[in-house]
Amino acid sequence: MRYFFISFMFILTFMFNNLLFAKEISISWPSIWVAKDSKAKVIRQLVNEFNQANSGKIKVVLEDQTDYDLYAQKLTAQLATGKLPDIFTIGSDLRDIFYRSNKGLDFVPHLDYDSNWKSRFPGNSLNSNKKDGKIYMLPYELFVTPVIYNKKLLKNAGYESFPKSYKEFIKMCKAIKKTGKICSSQMTNKNAWTSMLWYSQILVSAGGPDIYNNGLDDPAYLKAAVIMREMFNYTSSDALGATAAVSAGHFLNERSAVFMNGPWFIKRYTTEGIPGLHDNLVIAPAPMVEGGKGGMGGYIGGRQSSLAAGKQTDKNKEKAIVKFLKWLTEPDNVARLSYDSGAMFIIKTELPDDMDRLFKDMSKQAGNAPYVAPIFINGINSLSIAREFPQALSALVLDDVSPKEFVQMLKDAK
Amino acid sequence: MIIRKEDRIWLFLFIMPSLSLFVVFFIIPIIFLFTTSFTNWDGIEADFVGLDNYIKLFNNKTFIRSIVNNIYWILSSALIQVPLALIIALLLSHRSRGWKVFRTILFIPQVVSSAAIALLWMALYNSEYGLINFILDSIGLEEYKNHNWLGTLSTAQPALLAFWLCYVGYYMIIMLAKTSSISEDYYDAAKIDGALQFHMDWFITSPLIRSTFFTCLILGVIFNLRQFEFVYLMTNGGPANKTGVLVLYIWKELQIQRLGLGNAAGVIMIAFGIILLLLMRRILRSQNYN
Repeated sequence: MRYFFISFMFILTFMFNNLLFAKEISISWPSIWVAKDSKAKVIRQLVNEFNQANSGKIKVVLEDQTDYDLYAQKLTAQLATGKLPDIFTIGSDLRDIFYRSNKGLDFVPHLDYDSNWKSRFPGNSLNSNKKDGKIYMLPYELFVTPVIYNKKLLKNAGYESFPKSYKEFIKMCKAIKKTGKICSSQMTNKNAWTSMLWYSQILVSAGGPDIYNNGLDDPAYLKAAVIMREMFNYTSSDALGATAAVSAGHFLNERSAVFMNGPWFIKRYTTEGIPGLHDNLVIAPAPMVEGGKGGMGGYIGGRQSSLAAGKQTDKNKEKAIVKFLKWLTEPDNVARLSYDSGAMFIIKTELPDDMDRLFKDMSKQAGNAPYVAPIFINGINSLSIAREFPQALSALVLDDVSPKEFVQMLKDAK
Repeated sequence: MIIRKEDRIWLFLFIMPSLSLFVVFFIIPIIFLFTTSFTNWDGIEADFVGLDNYIKLFNNKTFIRSIVNNIYWILSSALIQVPLALIIALLLSHRSRGWKVFRTILFIPQVVSSAAIALLWMALYNSEYGLINFILDSIGLEEYKNHNWLGTLSTAQPALLAFWLCYVGYYMIIMLAKTSSISEDYYDAAKIDGALQFHMDWFITSPLIRSTFFTCLILGVIFNLRQFEFVYLMTNGGPANKTGVLVLYIWKELQIQRLGLGNAAGVIMIAFGIILLLLMRRILRSQNYN
């Protein structure tokens, strides 16, 4: 009896102790929005503010992930073998394997419970992420990738406005080359990001916004390869093998006249560009392929990063995670993030009138665009083809393969 | 040595911890690698596909090229890097003035991150602002003013190998350490006979550090079979898949969730490594390096 009483008191004390002195819930967030990323500053502020407001109860711990490729690799490994991070961002390239893994936190019950939170996401954006009745990814960041050109360098070459066709664009490139400058920044290292965006623009202009439904046999892929090859005659000598830093560096240092990237880069034109660069920059839709099926002013882009969380066994932790995600998707916080970084978000929010000029132009043109088609690596819906693209592009530029063989390389990669 | 029956249990108990670690972290992963190489495992699901993965690999030009490039790396190490390290070790073994400074300078790259070295050399090789092109242009070789060393088919692989061959510090320090264990009596006797420094290096020092030299050769083979970071950072296997190596190929397959295919490439890599090492043992055994 005595031992029973002691055991009972021990259990009671233990439970009481846990209730009174409940441990702080720690949420890990391996974040790519750190270091040089334009969203780093505000994200850190938001995390600190949340931690302060929930001091002693919830703490979000940011883990810096400065290399996106390594981060994606880590996420892929965790999807296959282990437990996912508490909170993370995920691109559409990993969507399929993420949903098949069944390791994500299902947001449907939480969204249904809180209609206010649900209403922050516009239209069909949540349903497009629903699979088998579950939503693992909350749409968050958007992107479009128009042309950004330096009007001063164009003017020096005799051009007051950006060309409307690729024929005119190549003529302009010749003129810019004569002034001693590089026409457009290109790259073939890693995912060949900048050049891949150009290829996407040309492809959609040639084949129309539904080009990806037609398969690689569509002549638009070949046409785009021919134009891409021509463009590399007017880029820097280090474009082959250049990384994103090298490619962007030419534009930021006013060595190249034309660039292509998303709204997240807007802040960097001021912080990393030479003095006065930002004032010379103009947003424009990409040129058109003559006789192509695309429309004038057409854009490419899509969903950049979505918010996600790993499945939790602890219901309290799950609630804490949802609480933090609600904080991240708070319209005022999203407006702060967008204002400071120039990034675009899918969350409905009121942006201040004094947003960066480039952001306003980008938003306006995207709003007026006849379509916003996916970029090549997302639209082609094949990781192996997306991976092969940089190698095929470098082979094309070096004349190791013909444009037809370039397309064949992509087909063989599947 | 005869082990008594009652001692065998203690023997087994003492080696159990290391053996367990070896089995868990080496044997089991290899068995797992081998079994999954016959599937189309993508990290979530796996179906048995037989030898499909192996057939795909041996029909893949990029994979074959990766093996060839690894052979280039191994040969360049065995025929240039390690012998160069030997020559430097022999020179430093004379203990001439300043030898410690040179030893330190040559060894420093071994303690620097390979990522930092790769990025440094990328900058040096850059066609727009790289130091190498600047120097070549300054000495009258204007055709190299904007030469893209890492982005040209003919120079990408040589450029990758060329800088790596200079990093001889690791092998140099091993062979230099061995020279200090050679008795001075040999050199005294040789000097009495009128031998020059070259004769002493060739007829005394070299034969006596031969076993260490062969060990360095084997290490060179192993390290270059595992070559990854320099290729990944500097060229990512390009241009046009011409500089890829086996580990990079495997990594790229894993990146796109083709784990079954990647593991099959891993099995081939292990088999390739075993064949190479057995071949080296056969060649070197005749030299009695043991």
